[in-house]
Amino acid sequence: MAKSLMDHHDVELAALAAAGGRREFGELVRRHGSAVRSLLRRMGAQPAEADDVAQDAFLQAFEKCAEFRGDGTFAAWVKRIAARLYLKRKAKDARYVAEIEPDQEEVTSSPDQAGLVDLDEALKHLSETERLCVSLCHGAGLSHPEIAAAMNLPLGTVKSHVKRGLDKLRARLSLDTGQSARATHVG
Amino acid sequence: MSVDEFDPGIERLFARTPQMADANLFAAEVETRLQSATGLRTLALTLAGGIGGIIAVRQSMNVDLHLTGSQAPVAGRVIGQGLQSASLDLQGGVASALSQMGLADMSLGSMGGMQLFWITAAALIALAAAGVMKLSQEV
Repeated sequence: MAKSLMDHHDVELAALAAAGGRREFGELVRRHGSAVRSLLRRMGAQPAEADDVAQDAFLQAFEKCAEFRGDGTFAAWVKRIAARLYLKRKAKDARYVAEIEPDQEEVTSSPDQAGLVDLDEALKHLSETERLCVSLCHGAGLSHPEIAAAMNLPLGTVKSHVKRGLDKLRARLSLDTGQSARATHVG
Repeated sequence: MSVDEFDPGIERLFARTPQMADANLFAAEVETRLQSATGLRTLALTLAGGIGGIIAVRQSMNVDLHLTGSQAPVAGRVIGQGLQSASLDLQGGVASALSQMGLADMSLGSMGGMQLFWITAAALIALAAAGVMKLSQEV
């Protein structure tokens, strides 16, 4: 009995897509589209922009499918393509500002209804550059030197942005966890 | 990734991405864009091929080999001279054969003997080409 597309592993689908299989590639997009779009939103892209960049990333991935060897996951591979595309697009608009602090007053924390820690909300408390650096490091899996090269920033600056961003995230996330725990206890 | 960079908790949160409600719609949009990109590429290749073909045909119709000219390569000049002398020998041989048969002054209406020769040669070449075509079809 022939395997349906859903039964295929990503590597098999990528190999079929490399041979021109658009349906097989469509299955890969269905599987990993949300992860790529989420990463771009976490990097700070607006939903429509994130979708545009994600589409471009998948089109580029289709062209380069033969280069995917299956060393890492397919999702991670496309995420890296998407992250670099987004950085290129941002670089066209403006250079990254080394130190931008977010307007703390505008941001309100709100743990989701299930009491789960909301990473997306917590990321809003980071500066634009911190958010980019942390998302590139933990979401797209880029190393610090890779981020420095992609963002055209000194390595030391990237390291401090990641460290400061992570500190803020941890603080925010523990605060959210505490609030949701209290809410559960009172309830 | 160094120890400073790695935070398993944060890593887990980043890895947790729920499937979006419009995931199928997004995939359909990507497939549509892929299809239109492929169509555009095919059209561009066809156009390029067509234009290239037209240019090639035009160039081959305009080609002027000048094989015996002083600017032609040595090999080209040798071949050109060979063809020219062979053609002259053939013409001389045919002319002498026709004169031996008393047909040197033969005319068919306004056509001379040499004109008749060239017409016959063209007909024979056409017949040979047709034969080769038929043979290739049978094979």
